[in-house]
Amino acid sequence: MNRWTAVIAHELLCTMRERLPQVLLAVFVGMVAASAFIGSSARASVTGVYSEAVRQGLTTVPNPFDSLSPLYYARNSVIYIVLIGALLAIVVGVYSTLRDRQARTMDLVLSRDVRPSFYLSAKLAGLGLFTALLLAVSAVISIACISVVAGRIISVDDGARLVGLYAVAWLFILPFLCLGMLAGLYATSVTSALLIPIVVWSVTIFILPLLGTAAHPVSLLNPVASPPAIQSGFFAVTSNLVNPLSLGEHFKHAGALILADPQATGTVTTSIWTILAFAIAACVAVIMTRRGRMRSALHD
Amino acid sequence: MTATAISTTALTKRYGPHQALRELNLTVPTGEIFGLLGHNGAGKTTIVNLLTTLMEPSSGTAEINGHDITTAATAVRRSIGYLPENVQFYDNLTLAENLIFFARLSGVRSVGSRISEVLDFLDFSGHENQRMGTFSKGMRQRAGIAQAILHEPSVLFLDEPTSGLDPQGVAKLRETIISLNTKLGMTIFMNTHLLAEVTKTCTSIGILSSGTLIYQDSVDATLKSFPDQESLEDIYLHIEAGQRA
Repeated sequence: MNRWTAVIAHELLCTMRERLPQVLLAVFVGMVAASAFIGSSARASVTGVYSEAVRQGLTTVPNPFDSLSPLYYARNSVIYIVLIGALLAIVVGVYSTLRDRQARTMDLVLSRDVRPSFYLSAKLAGLGLFTALLLAVSAVISIACISVVAGRIISVDDGARLVGLYAVAWLFILPFLCLGMLAGLYATSVTSALLIPIVVWSVTIFILPLLGTAAHPVSLLNPVASPPAIQSGFFAVTSNLVNPLSLGEHFKHAGALILADPQATGTVTTSIWTILAFAIAACVAVIMTRRGRMRSALHD
Repeated sequence: MTATAISTTALTKRYGPHQALRELNLTVPTGEIFGLLGHNGAGKTTIVNLLTTLMEPSSGTAEINGHDITTAATAVRRSIGYLPENVQFYDNLTLAENLIFFARLSGVRSVGSRISEVLDFLDFSGHENQRMGTFSKGMRQRAGIAQAILHEPSVLFLDEPTSGLDPQGVAKLRETIISLNTKLGMTIFMNTHLLAEVTKTCTSIGILSSGTLIYQDSVDATLKSFPDQESLEDIYLHIEAGQRA
């Protein structure tokens, strides 16, 4: 095992031993499974009522669920990734860099033949692998649950779309992972290290879309991106300014298109390029952190 | 002629307007246990940070085993071990998991056997599967020494190694430091406040005052040079007072 893989293995081990990420991990995987259960029970209830209505001769229309793609049951996963997945990534990122500063092990690492950029990029790779594994498990759970709800194994095309959704989800949570790592490196206290990225997350996910679209706050919990604002007045200006920064909306837009949601319109390209640009910029910011910053002491 | 393990020439470090270290000229021969004494804020940790390549000097140079700390930092890092003050380690990991990580980072080849060898040498076997969070301060320091010598460095830097230890812990650590020097031939550079320990552990000392090295000699020569002083502590206070006057 070389130094690169040693840091990755160490990062995975430390992350899996931390309590808070463990809890968030359980919540995230639990929510993915719960969304499938909710879809299943909704389908069972509606189908039960429909069957009874058909039996009594009250309707001749087809079962509304028959026209739905199995991917419809996965649409809520998009919002769970935006809410819980991104938060989990922030917490994991914060703990990763804060751990070294709290335990004062950074000096032990940097007094060895290890460059700061090498160490941080290896840590990032370890956390990237952790989140990829997490999303892979979620994808498997999602495919299994949808198959159960739909009563059949989903098609290869639908399976590929789900895998595509989780691949874009990984790209989407990468900037939040980096945001957490940067907060762990730059914050002067543990509290601010956790609070600052959560404030940035809430601004990105909730405040910016509100400024750009005048959407109702609750509608931001909808798995489909908010419609664009009217093309005049205040929102026409703010929409152009904040739309590229509304990372959550870009992911919801891309996710809805990947899952072939009938409400979603447009193309996926711009959203994916925007998410990719954020991911690359965030990774570069982490890797370029200087030795002195990595060694700085916490004030609490 | 005795080889030189550590040498500095006009080594200077400034933090903005504050000069933490002023043109330090210091030589530590190979095989010494060198104790650096000084009041809080004298610049002891700054020296260690510079010599372990964690910081770059503002001016001047330093060499470890002939390798320049700025232009040959990689070679310096391969030849040194370092135990900072109050290191905590990864509390959620066991001792073995911590040591495996640092051994791999140091490029140690046979990690398992080397860890066993080091723990046996430090008389610390049997704690490998214990989480570091359950360790006492003394056990942490021994774990700290273990991680510092995994890659068989020739020079070991210890920053306040006895800080916070009980008398038994101090005695145990003293034995360890002396055996690292006598049995493994390591040159040891330590910062310390415990002057009584310096007499028992170190072969030579330096006194730093406000970033300036005001005294350097062997412990034996120092004790002989000040016959009217009862202990090293008295000598230290006498030299410091002379510097202030």
